[in-house]
Amino acid sequence: MVEPVNSSLGKMLFEEVSPVVMVLCTPLVEETFLKNGLSLVETLKPFCNFSNIDVPVRTSGDQLYRLKKFTLRLFYASDIRQPNVEVAKQRLEHVITQAGEKDFQDLKSDPPQITDILSNSGSEIAPTWFQYYNKELIRTLSFSDHEAFDHPVACLLVVSSKDEEPISKFVALFNTGRLPSLLNDGAMDPKILKHYLLVHDNQDATTERTSKVLSEMRSTFGNNECNLLCTNSSKEGDVEHQANPWASFKSSVSADKLGCALTGDDIVEIKDLMQEFASRHIIPYMEQKVRELNQQISATRKGLRNQIKNLWWRKGKDDVPDSTKGSMYTFSSTESQIRILGDYAFMLHDYELALSSYRLISTDYKLDKAWKHYAGVQEMMGLAYFISDQSKKEAEYCMENAFSTYMKLGKSGFQNATRCGLWWAEMLKARDQYKEAASVYFRICGEEPLHAAVMLEQASYCFVLTKPPMLHKYGFHLVLSGDHYKNCDQVNHAIRTYRSAISVYQSTTWSLIKDHVYFHIGQWYAIVGMHDVAVRNMLKVLDCGYQSKATQEIFLRDFFNIVKKTGMKHEVVGLQLPVINMSSLQVIYEDHRTYASQTSALVDESIWQSLEDDIIPSLNSGKSNWLELQSKLLPKKYRESNVCVAGESVKVDLEFRNPLLISTSITSVSLICELTANTDDLKLDKEPSSLSLGPESSSDHNQGTASGFYSFTLSEVDFTLGGGEKKLVRLEVTPSEEGILKIVGVRWELSDSIVGVHYFQSVLVKAKTNKGRRKNKLTPTDALKFLVIKSLPRLEGSIDHLPEKLYAGDLRYLVLELTNKSESPIKNLKMKISHPRFVNLGNQEEELPTEFPDCLMKGHEQKIVQHETNRTSSVFAFPKGVSLQGDRSLRWPLWLRAAIPGTMSLYFTIYYEMENVSSIMKYRTLRMQYNLKVLPSLETSFEITPSPSRLQEFSYCFQIQQLSTVGCRWGISLLQPVDTILPSKSLLAGQALSCFFMIKDCKKSGTEEEKTMSLPASQTDVKLFTQDDNEKLFDIVNSPLASFHESERSCQGASDQVNPNTVDFILISRLANSSNPSAVPDSSIFLSHHSCHNSIRSSSPLSWTLDGPQTIYHNFSSSLCEIKLKMIIRNTSDGLASVSIITIDSLPDAAGPTPPTVNQSGWRYVPSVTEEMKLTSDVMGSRLGKPPSSMESSPPFIWSGLSSTKVQIQPLSTTDFPLQISVFSPGIYNLASYKLNWELSEHEKASSSGTCQGYPYYITVLQSE
Amino acid sequence: MANTACFIIVGRNDIPIYEAEVGSAAKREDAAQLHQFILHAALDVVQDLAWTTSAMFLKSVDRFNDLVVSVYVTAGHTRLMLLHDSRNEDGIKSFFQEVHELYIKILLNPLYLPGSRITSSHFDTKVRALARKYL
Repeated sequence: MVEPVNSSLGKMLFEEVSPVVMVLCTPLVEETFLKNGLSLVETLKPFCNFSNIDVPVRTSGDQLYRLKKFTLRLFYASDIRQPNVEVAKQRLEHVITQAGEKDFQDLKSDPPQITDILSNSGSEIAPTWFQYYNKELIRTLSFSDHEAFDHPVACLLVVSSKDEEPISKFVALFNTGRLPSLLNDGAMDPKILKHYLLVHDNQDATTERTSKVLSEMRSTFGNNECNLLCTNSSKEGDVEHQANPWASFKSSVSADKLGCALTGDDIVEIKDLMQEFASRHIIPYMEQKVRELNQQISATRKGLRNQIKNLWWRKGKDDVPDSTKGSMYTFSSTESQIRILGDYAFMLHDYELALSSYRLISTDYKLDKAWKHYAGVQEMMGLAYFISDQSKKEAEYCMENAFSTYMKLGKSGFQNATRCGLWWAEMLKARDQYKEAASVYFRICGEEPLHAAVMLEQASYCFVLTKPPMLHKYGFHLVLSGDHYKNCDQVNHAIRTYRSAISVYQSTTWSLIKDHVYFHIGQWYAIVGMHDVAVRNMLKVLDCGYQSKATQEIFLRDFFNIVKKTGMKHEVVGLQLPVINMSSLQVIYEDHRTYASQTSALVDESIWQSLEDDIIPSLNSGKSNWLELQSKLLPKKYRESNVCVAGESVKVDLEFRNPLLISTSITSVSLICELTANTDDLKLDKEPSSLSLGPESSSDHNQGTASGFYSFTLSEVDFTLGGGEKKLVRLEVTPSEEGILKIVGVRWELSDSIVGVHYFQSVLVKAKTNKGRRKNKLTPTDALKFLVIKSLPRLEGSIDHLPEKLYAGDLRYLVLELTNKSESPIKNLKMKISHPRFVNLGNQEEELPTEFPDCLMKGHEQKIVQHETNRTSSVFAFPKGVSLQGDRSLRWPLWLRAAIPGTMSLYFTIYYEMENVSSIMKYRTLRMQYNLKVLPSLETSFEITPSPSRLQEFSYCFQIQQLSTVGCRWGISLLQPVDTILPSKSLLAGQALSCFFMIKDCKKSGTEEEKTMSLPASQTDVKLFTQDDNEKLFDIVNSPLASFHESERSCQGASDQVNPNTVDFILISRLANSSNPSAVPDSSIFLSHHSCHNSIRSSSPLSWTLDGPQTIYHNFSSSLCEIKLKMIIRNTSDGLASVSIITIDSLPDAAGPTPPTVNQSGWRYVPSVTEEMKLTSDVMGSRLGKPPSSMESSPPFIWSGLSSTKVQIQPLSTTDFPLQISVFSPGIYNLASYKLNWELSEHEKASSSGTCQGYPYYITVLQSE
Repeated sequence: MANTACFIIVGRNDIPIYEAEVGSAAKREDAAQLHQFILHAALDVVQDLAWTTSAMFLKSVDRFNDLVVSVYVTAGHTRLMLLHDSRNEDGIKSFFQEVHELYIKILLNPLYLPGSRITSSHFDTKVRALARKYL
């Protein structure tokens, strides 16, 4: 903290609170001095500050002290009056305007950084003109009647020696009519110190006359009071002063002209004169006056008696009206005298005396309710406390008191309050109480905007100087101040304050604040004509989605207006409108991998890689794969870059978002690219600055440096973004030459007036196609760098009319069309499909001979082509001869079958090699992807149960058009006509249908090898349902049904392929015309359902049958009837079976559940032999029917021959076994009274055993005639 | 209910994470930014005051003309700032306390990243209801 005396307030007080000397002079004197370009007062002014006057002073006490510093203020008598408020105002305004013009040049530069501001020391922050302004402001209040320090202490009367009758002139000068009103209306004592000065102009006056006048003067006014000043000693008037003393006082005229007629001697004379005047006359005079007054006041006012008397007397004066207005205190009143005493003492630096006088008088004023005087005294008390470095609290209290008192006076006191506030603020600043100082500045803002602006700005600088700096407040007050400046058209100042405020707000996230500041400063820059800076600032408010629509419109309108005024197309890096979503950036390019469609390009690379693994050649065995091969072929330098082919476009997907509520049209969106020749000089691209503004420079990028003209073509996109809309835009660049292509950024035009540029650098790029595999090497910028190689043939492929939705089992005929647009041929086509279960390739190129689906019917002779090797790997190699070139297209048949319901992505990849192209790229692949949605349709289930009574016949249930068994082994026949099962001929949704069929093993017993015997077609296929009679059956042996079946087999039956006793079914159905709109749109032709590896559901390894006559006529009277039977037993298992046949003649008496009933004899029930046997799956059920209630004790027949036999049966073989029964009477006999005990010994497994009950077998024996 | 009231939650780093004009007076365009300015400027004072007391409610810390800034500082140094022209200190205190509770609930949401903007409409409705109740 500085000493109060040396603080700025201290200095200010020395200047402002100092004795005033009234100057009265004749016109001739003025004329003399005007030769130097200066008036009399101006000439003398520089010599009125005495820094070391060293005059001993004794005031009230006995102690002598020495005055070191002293100042005199010189004023013409005509100036000693209260200044006109309006004039003063204009002068202040002028000061500000001038300062604003001076600052104008700085405005172009960037706003200062906050750190710079903080590192500056206090005095550097605020502009220097503030001091000047404050001084001027205080000066507007000088010579008020309630204060005494502005009252002239002395009067300097100046007469030129050239004047006629100088003595009478001296007298005339001090004529009461010309004296200032202060002296005339009694506010101050007209008896003041007078000093007489005779000016002698060396240029045109004679010395004789001067000396004569001087002696005359001396005799008239006294020796001491008269002085002679000789000036203008230089005849030529061309004296140059090294350090011109007037320069700092009068800056308007060129400084070197000032005082041109004054020699050094003249200056010394002036100096001496003033020093003598001050030390010999003024100070002693004041000293004496102080003593005088002090004595007087001590007598009247000091002491207890006087105090009481005073109080008593004052009380009586309570009702004096309107004490503030009139000058109730004349110079002769005690109060005024005390005030004068205080002020004189203050000016003589005797602060103790000053304080005591002020204290004395302040109570009086308070009692008198003379508020203005009271406030003035309080103010002086505060200053006296401060400058004498006494109690801080007291000082502040006094200032506060004075300030609020002034404020209470209303408008009239405001000026005084302002001065008081300024002093108070200075006082606080001197004590480092900046925060308080700021609040004081804030309080003296007042209503006048210009004044308020200056005060607010000063307040803001105080906030920076507080420890710690209050930057938020700083910014806020700057903004307030700027608004005020703007209100009174001080745009330069407004910009200056806002510019400083930006340093606070530039990183803020308080959006409204930021927008306000940038928008307004932009507007103002536009007003002063700095359109480019205006645009730069306005850019920051464009991303204002949170503002209301009206505000956004204002922002945009103003912005575009300003842009238009600049008259050129600005290019802005980092334009916020529209916002680019960098994470959406996707680069799609094709090197050896080409894509048929957009969607296929977006498929994860790993899917394609796994699909392509076995069709892409790998030259190096072992670890190296085709990727490494590819990179080996490339020059090492370019290995990092991606490869693209000349003439083929690189696509970039980028998402633009409009942050505003207003729709915006964006035109000419294109990429910024660089294509350098494929030479070694990979030039380093210049780093674009973060926010550069200027004429179009990005178009420079869009040139091939080698050729000078555009060696690539760019796509341009125009679109309109509605409020808040997002759009994914596809941009393309197509290089036409070899070289290195670099995608640098994107540019767009906004409303035809401004060009936005966005550089991709230092942004993570999601380069889709090479993600993952080169991760370790690739930096994001490299992902946008492409090695352009010579143009290559590119295969295009599509599958026509591939349905998006279809039903499970739907079978379609499609055509794959491949085209090669270029002239050079391609060969070695190979294709792989991700889901061979769904898609099958046809066999030849030519079109189908007949319309689908007739071609699938039997009768069309087609060669059965086997693709065993291809099928397994699901790679289809096109015939060697197939080669494509020159816009020729290849049409290849394709079968699609929706195998399972669900959503499916089918991936096709076609590999091809280039002929005659010497390039680093030997082959390419075409990738196609299609999405299928498969809806569930018919659900089929098959169940096969062995026929109990017949060998190798099974019945099962299913559900429509044709049912076929696959292969030649199984014959199939219908058990029931379809019409009886399903009269409506179609299955409705949700309906279930069971049908029963009989299938028969057509293979000859005992032979294991496949026989190529051809069964009649009717045996493997069953037509369930005919619309017209001549409709043919579907051919299941030929492609594509056969091949689909093949893949179905492998899919369905991976688990148990060992069981040879399985049967595969294909159910072919047709979709009835339905009116359901949600169904698959194009009617599918027919559906096929494959069910594979159906095996017989049976636990027993044996099947057998009894073979014998049905009806026998026998004459029982002669003998009993012996009937020979044959039992054929088949071992259906894999192991060796040993079977023992046990015949049971008599029943055990006990009616246990285990033994089979053999009692069903006699004429009880004769089933109709012709009746179709209908058996459910539970074949045993009918046999375990309840025994008849009446039982006969003796069996009607007995088993003759062996009662127990054991046979060995080889696996999957059949044995005959003879049996014989003896019947004693005619009747129908059920020969079920036997059982088979079997024991199975398989190769490894433990042997199993079991018992089978006999089947009912009815034999009718009749009495022969 | 107060004529003018602007409520802002300021997270660390002086980033506003929630803003609401809760006054009953008709919304004026330029008022919104003035409110922001005043509240933003008051941050300096809050910074000083927050460490001088252990109370969370700092009462009115700053004023601009007839607008007063009241502040409530949570333990995590999130500042709930209210700009108001009414003098209902008890109401403001209750308002702050209840909003603090709401804010804690927001913080407990595992999907909310502390310091990010509060976008919950539920929170917004609740705050406005509290403002109607207390201010």
